[in-house]
Amino acid sequence: MKKQGYSQDNFFGWLMSSPALLLLTIFVIIPLVMGLGWSFTNKRLISPLPTEYIGLKNYDSILAIKLIPIDPILDENGKPQIDEKGNIQYFRVRDVIRANPKYQDFRLYTEFNAFGNHFGIIAKDPDFYRALINTTLYVLMIVPAIGIISLLLALLVNQRIWGVSIFRVLYFIPSITSISVTSVVWMFLYNPDQGLINQLLQKISFGAFGFSPWLQSADTALLAIILYTIWQASGLFMVIFLGGLQDIPEDTYEAAKIDGANPFQTLLYVVIPQLRNTIIYVVITSSILGFRLFTQVDVMTKGGPEGSTLTLMMHTVNEGFRNQKIGYASAISIVFFIFILILTFTQRKIFKSENVLE
Amino acid sequence: MRKQVVDNSMRHNQKARFQKKTLLFLDYFVMILLAFFFLFPFWVMAVGSLKPEKLIFDDLKSVIWAFIPRDVNLENYAYIFNRIPFLTYFKNTIVIVLTTIVSGLFVNSMIAYALARLRWKGKKFIIGAILALTIVPLETIVVPLLMVSNKLPWFNGATSWLDSLHVQIIPFICDAFSIYLFYQSFIQIPKDYDEAAIMDGANPFVIFSRVIIPLARSTFVAVAIIQLIFLWSAYLWPLMVTRTEAFRPLTLGVTYLYNMDIRWGPILAYATLSNLPSVLLFIVFQKGFLRSIASGSVKG
Amino acid sequence: MNKRLALVIRFCVLTLFVASIAACSPAVTQAPEVTEAPVVTEAILPTDIVSAEAPIDVTLWFHGGSVGESDTLRAQVEDFNASQTKYRMTINEIPGGAAAGSGYNDAVNAAAVAGTLPDLLDFDGPFLFNYAWGGYLTPLDDLIPAELKADIFPSVLDSLKYDGKIYGIGQYDSGLALCGNKAILEEAGVRIPTSVEDAWTFAEFNEVLEKVKGVGGTEYSIDLKMNYGAGEWYSYGFTPVIWGNGGDLIDRSTYQTADGFINGEKTVAAVTWFKSLFDNGYATSTPPDDNEFVNGKAALGWCGHWMTTTYYDALKENFVLIPMPNFGERQATGNGTWVWGITKDSKNPEGAMAFIEFIMKPEEVLRTVTQNGAVPATFSATEQSDLFKKGGRLSIFGEQLARVDIATPRPITPGYPVITSAFYTALDNIIKGADIQTELDAAADKIDKDLQDNSFYPQK
Repeated sequence: MKKQGYSQDNFFGWLMSSPALLLLTIFVIIPLVMGLGWSFTNKRLISPLPTEYIGLKNYDSILAIKLIPIDPILDENGKPQIDEKGNIQYFRVRDVIRANPKYQDFRLYTEFNAFGNHFGIIAKDPDFYRALINTTLYVLMIVPAIGIISLLLALLVNQRIWGVSIFRVLYFIPSITSISVTSVVWMFLYNPDQGLINQLLQKISFGAFGFSPWLQSADTALLAIILYTIWQASGLFMVIFLGGLQDIPEDTYEAAKIDGANPFQTLLYVVIPQLRNTIIYVVITSSILGFRLFTQVDVMTKGGPEGSTLTLMMHTVNEGFRNQKIGYASAISIVFFIFILILTFTQRKIFKSENVLE
Repeated sequence: MRKQVVDNSMRHNQKARFQKKTLLFLDYFVMILLAFFFLFPFWVMAVGSLKPEKLIFDDLKSVIWAFIPRDVNLENYAYIFNRIPFLTYFKNTIVIVLTTIVSGLFVNSMIAYALARLRWKGKKFIIGAILALTIVPLETIVVPLLMVSNKLPWFNGATSWLDSLHVQIIPFICDAFSIYLFYQSFIQIPKDYDEAAIMDGANPFVIFSRVIIPLARSTFVAVAIIQLIFLWSAYLWPLMVTRTEAFRPLTLGVTYLYNMDIRWGPILAYATLSNLPSVLLFIVFQKGFLRSIASGSVKG
Repeated sequence: MNKRLALVIRFCVLTLFVASIAACSPAVTQAPEVTEAPVVTEAILPTDIVSAEAPIDVTLWFHGGSVGESDTLRAQVEDFNASQTKYRMTINEIPGGAAAGSGYNDAVNAAAVAGTLPDLLDFDGPFLFNYAWGGYLTPLDDLIPAELKADIFPSVLDSLKYDGKIYGIGQYDSGLALCGNKAILEEAGVRIPTSVEDAWTFAEFNEVLEKVKGVGGTEYSIDLKMNYGAGEWYSYGFTPVIWGNGGDLIDRSTYQTADGFINGEKTVAAVTWFKSLFDNGYATSTPPDDNEFVNGKAALGWCGHWMTTTYYDALKENFVLIPMPNFGERQATGNGTWVWGITKDSKNPEGAMAFIEFIMKPEEVLRTVTQNGAVPATFSATEQSDLFKKGGRLSIFGEQLARVDIATPRPITPGYPVITSAFYTALDNIIKGADIQTELDAAADKIDKDLQDNSFYPQK
């Protein structure tokens, strides 16, 4: 009897999985395997030049990074030259790279002063590290921001007061609009000189809030995109939190009240622990979404200014499709894939280990 | 003495009521402020789309006027309908989104059911693989996917899938993330339900359609909406695989307008028009939608 | 067992149902592809067999962007289809403007990969070398009728050759100059040059920028059309400043390196001057839309030919076209523009060429250039043009193009897409405040890396 059940399950298991497995194989796994194969070649999108196997060269080009000390320029007395502002003059990193055959193919990523010396960080693909750092930064900011904001929104609209369901609807609306279209609308709002956001901020702060360049400056562009994403996505996560909140039994709150907990304590010690699963879900989902960041950047900034909004997705599409280096881009995809795989599993491990502690 | 107590308690009550009222007022104030934050882009967009080009930016300067329609005319909308096959784009988007969602619900829930509730060889491995695949962004496989799609045969003699609606549909029917959501939901349904059905001699397919689907209705709605949100924003893939106006979705139309000679009037009109359907759809069905997402996407 | 079979069947039916929804959904009928087009060589092209048969479908893509150009071309396609019965041209406007990384170039690349390029394609001049090198295009030498070849200006034809073969034909060449609002310029008391011979010197141009600032209700001196954003406009529009100062984007003698050119002293000086336009309040880097000059916010406009009609319509007799000034060493302007090429995937190159012949007729060339203000590329059209003859409203464009010491082509190399994107990205960053030398160095490195990656684009 049991045996038969098992074989029946075996049959139905495969039968019912087959359409999905077929589609996944054709449209995800085969492309992934193709990409993996290409990552060891110099394949180009279209080129009369032959494709060659180049081993791990792509991976080396992506990952190679070095820290090098930069010497000051010495004057005739052997003392470092000093400019009119009193800063020591250093050799240009680019000249140092060019003078040393060991650093061939490396390019400047950034330079900085530390411990009284000057250093340069050089990489074979500085844009990759730029993209990696931007993407990580973006995820590190967007995940807590979205998490906290959408939880607060959910708490706000979870009250039993008149008209609250209308507000739920209103907050959710940005989530169901298309990103490429609303990104264009936000570009309109973000225009530094005439855009509504600057005008509005100026008016309501009585001029105290100066004009921000938003998308036009390397300092603010990523923040502008984060602000847009918060606007766009927090409604969705609010609703997910609402679901979690509604699963908390009413008497839990009552009990907390009787114990004399203030609302803040109730939130911290009663609500949040009860929302554990929801929070895990929101964190995982929003970080996956964060790593995928592409459309709004492609529409709003194309990765600029100064690479400040270049994301890994942007870099992959730029290299593979627009610069036609698909071998190289495939290698970036693989590195990226491994990177988030490790990250996601660590995330899950962390949540699991907390679980054990409880 | 007694009077004083009553007095005191009344005063206390009054104070509490006053506090409560202030809090309530504060709540509404914050909620309205937030509503403004979430809605002003739409409002400004719609108002701007009704104005002549020159007024759009002039009115932004005074801020207040940016929110008030004046010199209302439909020229920007006329421009859209004259220049762009808006209705075709619109129809394409609807067909793509609906077909993908409907077939996706079917395909994804079925495998999730098999993974969550049947015991069969190989399922552990598949669960692991699907978990890993949830994080594969389309953009990383877009070029090989293009090559694959280009090589696939089709029924009516065409030699390539490119430039069609189905190339925008079929690759996205099966979605690891949806499978994961279904899996999470199915695994929480108590085993007694299907055991009772098994006793009645029902096979897994019947159990799935008669027992599981009704129980997990809200998950289905939630997955559908989450898919809708993603599909509605499809951008890079359509850009790569569509060539002709007949197959282009709404999301590409805006890039049509947003290029060299930027005219914000038509752009805003286009944005208004393309956001309108999903917003209306949502407002009409909001009650069911919100409840389902809330209860269907994750268990607290 | 029987039950199981029934289930399998039910399951298959369901799957089929889903598949058929997907299959039927393209209710819009797919344009029937002509799989077996008659392959005929040009020499024995039979002209009389076709009349009774259905017309052969020929497809054309062109870049979206300008409403006027789009309308004109659509009308021309209609007229072409009406003028003969052998071919039926279908037109496809692809969104997204010019440059590498734009929607249009993305779509072309994707189609080239998939082998689904249309018969006829338009592209910006310097992309020709890349497309030809990559094998997207068919050489036209054997397809172009001799009389048409003789009618096109030799300088234009030369610019469309790669590896000695012709890969593109254009109706017109581009014009880039300054547009002025005459009333404001006169109010400011500046001299208005009337021919390339008396163009402003560099010092004079700088004075003009200072003098006109704020005059006649303007907010700044010159509209640089920065609303186009980082893209081909930056390369097309602003490299003349670099050339005029003796710099360049790449070593033109060998095309093997950009180092010392795009980041050389003269280029850096030119870019520094360009950046100062924004710092001095002569220009804005963030205009909200396309209408700044028309709305009287600036006295001058950096002006591509495609804007002249709009500007003239808005300003009428106040519109004046001013030759590009001297930028230090010489006067300089760009040339080269969108041209037509026939692709490798074309099954009907003859049909595509028939359309090219049609639009190259003098009346069609004039129809196009009257709308977009570009300079006709044929002798026959120029003879008949009022706009471009001596003293015509746009004659400055022609005068500039006729002088090889003024009109300079963008780099002639298959590496152009990378050169232009490296340059416009750097320029965009610089305008937004990045260090000039660092950015141009990075651009040089990017270009050199690409040259190495592609073995310096060897010719076959």
